[in-house]
Amino acid sequence: MTAPTQRSLTPVERPTRRRRGVAFDLLRVPLVGRFLKWHWSRTVLQIPLVLLSLVMIIHALWGPQLAPKNLGTLLTWVHFRGLVVVVILLAGNLFCMACPFMLPRAIARKLFKPKWSWPRALRNKWLAIALFVGVLFAYELFDLWSNPWWTGMLILGYFVAALVIDTLFRRASFCKYVCPVGQFNFLSSTLSPLEVAVRDKDTCLDCKTKDCIRGVRAETSPANQEANHQTSSSNLQLPVIQRGCELALFQPRKVGNLDCTFCLDCVYACPHDNVGIVSRLPADELSAEGARSGLGRIERRFDFTVLAVVFTFGAILNAFAMISPVYALEQWIADQTGLRVEWPILSAMFVVGLVLEPALLLGCAALFTRWATRSAESVLSIVKRYARSLLPVGFGIWLAHYGFHFLTGCLTVIPVAQNAVLRFVGSPMLGEPMWQLGGMSEATVFPLELGFLTLGLIGSLAVTWTVSLRGASHDAGNRARVASAGVDRMTVLSFLPWAILHVALYVAAIWIMMQPMDMRGTFLGG
Amino acid sequence: MTNRLNKASAQRPKRMMCRRAITNVLRCAMITAGLFVVGCADDADDTSGVQVNLTLDPSPPVVGEAVVSLVLKNQDGTLLEKAEVKIEGNMNHAGMKPSFADLTEVEPGKYDGTLDFTMGGDWFILVTAQTPNGQTIERKIDVEGVQAR
Repeated sequence: MTAPTQRSLTPVERPTRRRRGVAFDLLRVPLVGRFLKWHWSRTVLQIPLVLLSLVMIIHALWGPQLAPKNLGTLLTWVHFRGLVVVVILLAGNLFCMACPFMLPRAIARKLFKPKWSWPRALRNKWLAIALFVGVLFAYELFDLWSNPWWTGMLILGYFVAALVIDTLFRRASFCKYVCPVGQFNFLSSTLSPLEVAVRDKDTCLDCKTKDCIRGVRAETSPANQEANHQTSSSNLQLPVIQRGCELALFQPRKVGNLDCTFCLDCVYACPHDNVGIVSRLPADELSAEGARSGLGRIERRFDFTVLAVVFTFGAILNAFAMISPVYALEQWIADQTGLRVEWPILSAMFVVGLVLEPALLLGCAALFTRWATRSAESVLSIVKRYARSLLPVGFGIWLAHYGFHFLTGCLTVIPVAQNAVLRFVGSPMLGEPMWQLGGMSEATVFPLELGFLTLGLIGSLAVTWTVSLRGASHDAGNRARVASAGVDRMTVLSFLPWAILHVALYVAAIWIMMQPMDMRGTFLGG
Repeated sequence: MTNRLNKASAQRPKRMMCRRAITNVLRCAMITAGLFVVGCADDADDTSGVQVNLTLDPSPPVVGEAVVSLVLKNQDGTLLEKAEVKIEGNMNHAGMKPSFADLTEVEPGKYDGTLDFTMGGDWFILVTAQTPNGQTIERKIDVEGVQAR
């Protein structure tokens, strides 16, 4: 490894240096870029969301306990979910950027400095996976979509959890290790067209301060940071005036959007103005292998594999729960077992949908890959390598499902808000509720759903192909056989079972979307 | 060291301001919550003692139009005649357009109309009846499991 040169950069030198092939940088867009680079932009984005969250909580807890007339349930289950996936598809993880849960936390941290580090045993995705499954389970068991009070408590619970965890523990422990919404956004944003990334990698090679990860400390102005590098250990005693990345993503080694909350701390901290929000090919990061800053090798992490599986098969399960066949299945299980309570039946369906079914499908695909390529690699290792290829099709299913609710019901917020104001103020300040407003027709939305699903399938196939290409050429024990059989044949053989799996998920999702909606909160007909 | 101490003392008023700001935000939230509690109390049920019997045809209902028949009886069991009856069908899930219908009195105390169940699932019907003496009766009636076609 060569030592970096000691000279510092001057603004005059920068344009002549090798640039990353960036077609678009959001931070270079007039007005928008200037706003985002402003230190308080995140707070400005958070304030309206915090106020909106307060309105949602208050209306959910004390407003009409009728889900379609309550802003808590409507905005949470229709608008928030729909907008999150649409914005991630069109731009990036902007919800985490404007996350309302982080504003009270930021205020609290002005008063109480967290003293503890997040427990080493929990520095993984297992807790977040458990919470993610827990939210999906509670959603079905307690019919959260039809329950304003519990929806309000859920939002409130999020605020409290984020506040307590991040007041006690240093860095962004809640976002990185706990928040189920965050994990959903991290995985989904691997399909986004924008990412926070360095503009010029050479500039980072010359950087001594690494402020993007360490943060900027008082009395270390950008002008003398390079000089102060020599005494950086003593600088650690000084107060941080600008955080570095709290999710441990070191910009020069950061790959893609995984674990990135778009908080832009790295942008503010970088003394060389070398971090941007740049365009890239969606899902491209899923093809990357090797160590990633803050994450390690995702293709070797079992927790990440399980997270990808839960994300994708959870999408199928969540959509399946809203159509008639699920009630027929519940009825059949109840008749066979004599059970008259929902939770054991629902638990069994979750175990089948999120554990047995994926284990069987992924296990079979990995076994076939191993057999066809005569590889010595373990089945689990193959599953771990290919798990990330599930994400595009999984995101396509979430997008089709949440997009359906959002697009068919986006305008219902108008009459519900009018009704809330009418009841609150006593006069129709926003006009009489226009209950005839709904959204796009189901017939119009269906082709869009098909488009989302197809895009997801294409993404999954593309990632699978790249993983197969890498697998065929990287398998050291297999190299000789690969050479004789030809990489193409090996690649195709290892690609095939996973492609069939993705197509099966795609067909299952289309079948679900073609079923008439049947949203019931009652178990066995009440 | 002195420099740091100076900084710490300079940060104290900042902390006080933060505390005050938090207290004010909490106060505002409490006041708003209080106003909402007063303004948004659920008034779907009333205490008039009027009995509302609703039947649907077909029963169990399926997606599409259903004939809604409503019988209104006073507390003493006499039929409540000449009321203006409106119904509003909503799904349990948020984000769906409601269906409305005005019911007409086909027999004394019996009101009929047609309601469109646009989607399978759990529904509820809000009944609003205005009696000749100006009394308003409101009821929420659950219609579980409207079957998808």
